[in-house]
Amino acid sequence: MSAPEPLDLRAVVRGAVAALATGPAPSTATTSDLSIDEELALHSIGWEPVELVSGVSIVSIPLGWWNWGQGEITAAAQAHRHAFANAIARLHREAARAGGHGVVGVRVEGAVRPTHVEVALVGSAVRPVGAPARPEAEVFLSDLSGRDFTLLSIAGWETVGLAVGASFVFAPRRSVGAVLGQQTQNVELTNFTEAMYAARETAMTRMQDAALALKGTGVVGVSIDEGPMSFASHAVGFVVIGTVVRAGPSGHQRVAPITVVPLDDAVVAFDARTLE
Amino acid sequence: MSDAPNDLPEATEHRLEELERGLFTSDLSVNEFLLIKEVGFHPVGLVMGSSIYHTGIQTRKWSQSQELTKLTEAMYNARELAMTRMEEEAAELGADGVVGVRLDVNYYEWGKDAAEFIAVGTAVKAEDGVSRRNALGKPFTSDLSGQDFWTLHSTGYAPQGLVMGTCVYHIAHRGLGQTLSTTGQNVELPNFTQALYEARELAMTRMQDEATRLGASGIVGVRLEEKSHQWGSHTIEFLALGTAVTEGADPVDLPKPVTIISLDR
Repeated sequence: MSAPEPLDLRAVVRGAVAALATGPAPSTATTSDLSIDEELALHSIGWEPVELVSGVSIVSIPLGWWNWGQGEITAAAQAHRHAFANAIARLHREAARAGGHGVVGVRVEGAVRPTHVEVALVGSAVRPVGAPARPEAEVFLSDLSGRDFTLLSIAGWETVGLAVGASFVFAPRRSVGAVLGQQTQNVELTNFTEAMYAARETAMTRMQDAALALKGTGVVGVSIDEGPMSFASHAVGFVVIGTVVRAGPSGHQRVAPITVVPLDDAVVAFDARTLE
Repeated sequence: MSDAPNDLPEATEHRLEELERGLFTSDLSVNEFLLIKEVGFHPVGLVMGSSIYHTGIQTRKWSQSQELTKLTEAMYNARELAMTRMEEEAAELGADGVVGVRLDVNYYEWGKDAAEFIAVGTAVKAEDGVSRRNALGKPFTSDLSGQDFWTLHSTGYAPQGLVMGTCVYHIAHRGLGQTLSTTGQNVELPNFTQALYEARELAMTRMQDEATRLGASGIVGVRLEEKSHQWGSHTIEFLALGTAVTEGADPVDLPKPVTIISLDR
């Protein structure tokens, strides 16, 4: 066994400095949270994932807005709008930096708390194979899966972005007399129904305005989160999120589905209650 | 609908105007969206009806099986309110029907007997301009998914309406003597069996009556739900829900299914 060569420290340092000056070698590896079949589906229409990207934002709501009042709780709606706008902008920036043309499979985690609204968006940036980067403003977002994105592309539709609408409204309290008088009766609680309607109309309109601002012709896969706020007894909330789409230059293409009989195991759906 | 809130919020008009200009919204998945386009329909908007309802109180006899008509009425009335409001929105948008209708009941902490009844679906319109409304001239409703809607259409059937029957039933408790006499034995408990049968029959019959009124030739996708809601273990709501369909006039070649073994889990 011969003695090891003495290490030439100067050469190592010179090499390291030179490497720093030129920046890291362009990486060809990609990260994504897409499943294997989604990735294959993307490749089938000539797209590839580039990077896992995220955007997060937390915006505070001033104290005291939830407890008493009437009409819309504007501070909460504003906080919600800002939180989503910030998170979406950050997702755009990250995706554009990674060289993506869009982000698919965006997981939307949004929560409204008494003092703040938190939003976290995580998705996979994608691009046509080998395509050069795009400016930040042209990056699209979609909470649809890679599979859905592929299907839409085949059918001639473009995904444009995420549209979000939220509204929080106070329901007027019923008088003690009304509460007692209605105790044994079948009645509609118009105060809550009207508040729910007001919240819903405002939220849906905001989502539609956002879709039109993105020059979309439709919103698919709208998810609805509605109901009273768990921390405020007389405030109801309505939040809608959907992916904005528009028909591409060639218009809607038929997909011609075929009927199949899957030979998978059947699912038992009926479950009778037990009597105690 | 006399006691219904009749002045719609300001935003409504703006929202409907945007929808009339050609924007559509829908909670359909992409698959469902494409399948609905495939059978010649276009989604026009997400429609919804909701009612927050207070159910009354009805006394029940401990040892008697009976329908609790007041509670049945409440369940009917509240669901009808939600459904009618949804249908009205669809009619407002000029839709031919509503697909993917979900009927939910949500209980919240704002009151013991108050519940939110909500009906949500996607309004659709035929692209060829021919009206596909049901026998009553209203938009059809259906709780079928986009996939089922496509299958139904390609076999020549048309949905007419979401039909339902409900019955809130109190099932008698067994007396001490009865309980003791059957201890340790294999016996059927006829009072329980009978009560469950009766309640289920009532709900099913009511559903069928609704379908007959629509001139339907059948009901598909029937679900039978049994729920205690907040009434305790011996009071049960039986709810039967399904989509009434009619057979089209033209004979249709049934699509020949392809057998597959999917690799999903």
